[in-house]
Amino acid sequence: MRQLALLGLVFAALFTVPFVVESESWRTTIIMTLYAALLGQAWNILGGYGGQFSFGHAAFFGTGAYTVAVLQVQFGINPWLGLVAGGALAVGVAAFIGFTTFRYGLRGSYFALVTLAFAEVLRILSNTVPFTGAGVGILIPLDPGAASLQFTSKAGFYWLLWAITLAAFLTAWWIGHSRFGARLMAVRDNEDAARALGVDPFRVKMRAIMLSGLFSGLAGVFYAQFFLYLDPGIAYGPAVSVESLLVPIVGGMGTLFGPLLGAVALHAVSEVTREVIGDLPGISLVIYGTILVIMVLFAPRGLSGLVSRLTARMRRTAEGDRHA
Amino acid sequence: MTDKTLKGGLRRRDFLATGAAAFALGVTGFPAVLRAQATPVKIGLIHPVSGFVAFSGNQCREGALMAIADINAAGGIKSMGGAMVEAVLADSQGKPEIGAAEVTKMAEAGIDGIVAGYASSISLATSQEAAKTNTPHVVDVGVSDQIVQRGLANTFRFGPGYGKIADFAVDNLDTINKAAGSPAKTAMIIHEESLFGTGTAGLLQKRLPEKGIEVIDIIKHANPTRDFTNIVLQIKSQKPDLIIPANYYNEYVLLARTMRQQRIEAKGIYSVLGGAASNYQFVNEFPEAADLIMDCNHWFNPKSDVALQRKAAAEAKGLIYTYEVFLAYNAVLGLVDAIERAGSTDKDAVNAALAASEMDMSYMPYGATKMVDGQNEGAQPVNTQVQNGEIEVIFPAEFASAETVFPMGG
Repeated sequence: MRQLALLGLVFAALFTVPFVVESESWRTTIIMTLYAALLGQAWNILGGYGGQFSFGHAAFFGTGAYTVAVLQVQFGINPWLGLVAGGALAVGVAAFIGFTTFRYGLRGSYFALVTLAFAEVLRILSNTVPFTGAGVGILIPLDPGAASLQFTSKAGFYWLLWAITLAAFLTAWWIGHSRFGARLMAVRDNEDAARALGVDPFRVKMRAIMLSGLFSGLAGVFYAQFFLYLDPGIAYGPAVSVESLLVPIVGGMGTLFGPLLGAVALHAVSEVTREVIGDLPGISLVIYGTILVIMVLFAPRGLSGLVSRLTARMRRTAEGDRHA
Repeated sequence: MTDKTLKGGLRRRDFLATGAAAFALGVTGFPAVLRAQATPVKIGLIHPVSGFVAFSGNQCREGALMAIADINAAGGIKSMGGAMVEAVLADSQGKPEIGAAEVTKMAEAGIDGIVAGYASSISLATSQEAAKTNTPHVVDVGVSDQIVQRGLANTFRFGPGYGKIADFAVDNLDTINKAAGSPAKTAMIIHEESLFGTGTAGLLQKRLPEKGIEVIDIIKHANPTRDFTNIVLQIKSQKPDLIIPANYYNEYVLLARTMRQQRIEAKGIYSVLGGAASNYQFVNEFPEAADLIMDCNHWFNPKSDVALQRKAAAEAKGLIYTYEVFLAYNAVLGLVDAIERAGSTDKDAVNAALAASEMDMSYMPYGATKMVDGQNEGAQPVNTQVQNGEIEVIFPAEFASAETVFPMGG
């Protein structure tokens, strides 16, 4: 319950951000950080808690994004309905990928490669079929207003994202404290042992991938409405898949706050390097990459692990002082 | 006579000398002081200077910086007391979302106008974000027609869009083909997969049959593609009269080299916005692969002394004078010209001045500048052809520096 209280506290504080931060530029930075945390938590549900490393979360993200865009542009359907449809269709794609991979017992690197392949197939398909605009992409007409899911102020976008991200984090908390979560983590730690104990790994993994797909899809819907333009590279390209897994890896896989910590750390590093030495082309990316390598080498359990280690060490030191 | 020291430690003689100097400066140097005090005009330059199109992004940045240096050297913005133009640089990393985030930052920092963003997808995002604060936004290179078709009051482009380029390319190809006795009856289009290549291919596919040229195949490839052997083998098996590539620099070079290696014998290679066909680097490094390739692309007016001087200045700086350089240069000139005419950096006034722009662009092969919905209707591409290691303009006739060689190999 302490974790839930902390989660409530963090999100209550996050809710007030638009009241405190008036700078649109800072709001954009915070929105992009929260968006990365959402992508990361979506991946974390399957990869962190479930141990199923996906390299193709762009498949769910792109499906959500294209659904809301195509429904609006081709069929004139309100994007609020598109939001629901985007999430639902992403769940459908997740179920399909999950069924075809888990049904045949694909694990580890095989699962990772197959998810990567699915995302690539969808990228090629969206590059070919006319209703997605193919390689030309799809442009959502500018129509500012809450009714068209295009808020006039960034605060509106922020609260929409806040609500989706809160739902994702509550789901992750529930996974950490529910029977389903215990089964999922048992499958992650030893699938055969879990099966021997009566857990149905296929069923558990299917539920995890569908939940993961839902939040990735909703992140895609948010992206489409925020930037109003999509092309196959943006929607199904590898950048989204990489960002999805990088955030929890840096923050701490299989932990509730890992994706948030990872998103904050990655965006802070990215912003600081861009601000300090932004005029030198590419140098900020070099520093960003170097810091990532250092973090992965010296903090393999992510920032959450680092925080736990430091806390434990401080506790031991304090106890040692008491005994002395 | 002794020197009296005034209160505060300044000697009387020094005081008198300083006073005289200050007076002299006041008489002779006042206008210069006024000029120096005018608030600089800040122009944001957002380009993909890192990422997969970094070469082009850097070329754009260099072109824009050259324009700013030239404007400042000529006395800045005269209607604003000689205000200097100050560049604010940003890297979009080739990602629309980062480009848009940079616009937000710049708008908040009080930017007076933006020139962006090389790729169409980035230009769509940056101009839309700039529209939220009504910040004047000039697109330098992005050719998508959608950029200026969204009714954004702040978005302008001085160069041509791909609808016009594709029409121009087809019409000129028809003229060139007919002048040679119509030897080309079939064509294959090889294009990259993003907005520019796909859009161009779609327009060509629709228009070429109207000119009696059958499109027998369209091959799309990913970015990046590093092996064109299979694509070239397909070309070889289908034996088209014309090969039409529409791709970025690296892919274009590799495709052209592979076609030469596989000894493809077409009647012509006719690019539309070819990433390398109108590029001196390609022509210098791979003269055999480049020879006689025709292109329909952005180019400068080879008969304009101003254009040739700018080319020489760019080359003196070690730059390759590609279309990115002069289009970004022109975009900055267009924006500053509007600020000059507006006499202020008021956003509405600058946007209105851009919409009414009649800037003399005789250094480009354009007609009179006329903005319609943010697009300069006077802008047009030209046809170039690589001949003996030089890029020559072959069409339209008034800008031509050489005769067309078609079909290839006589």
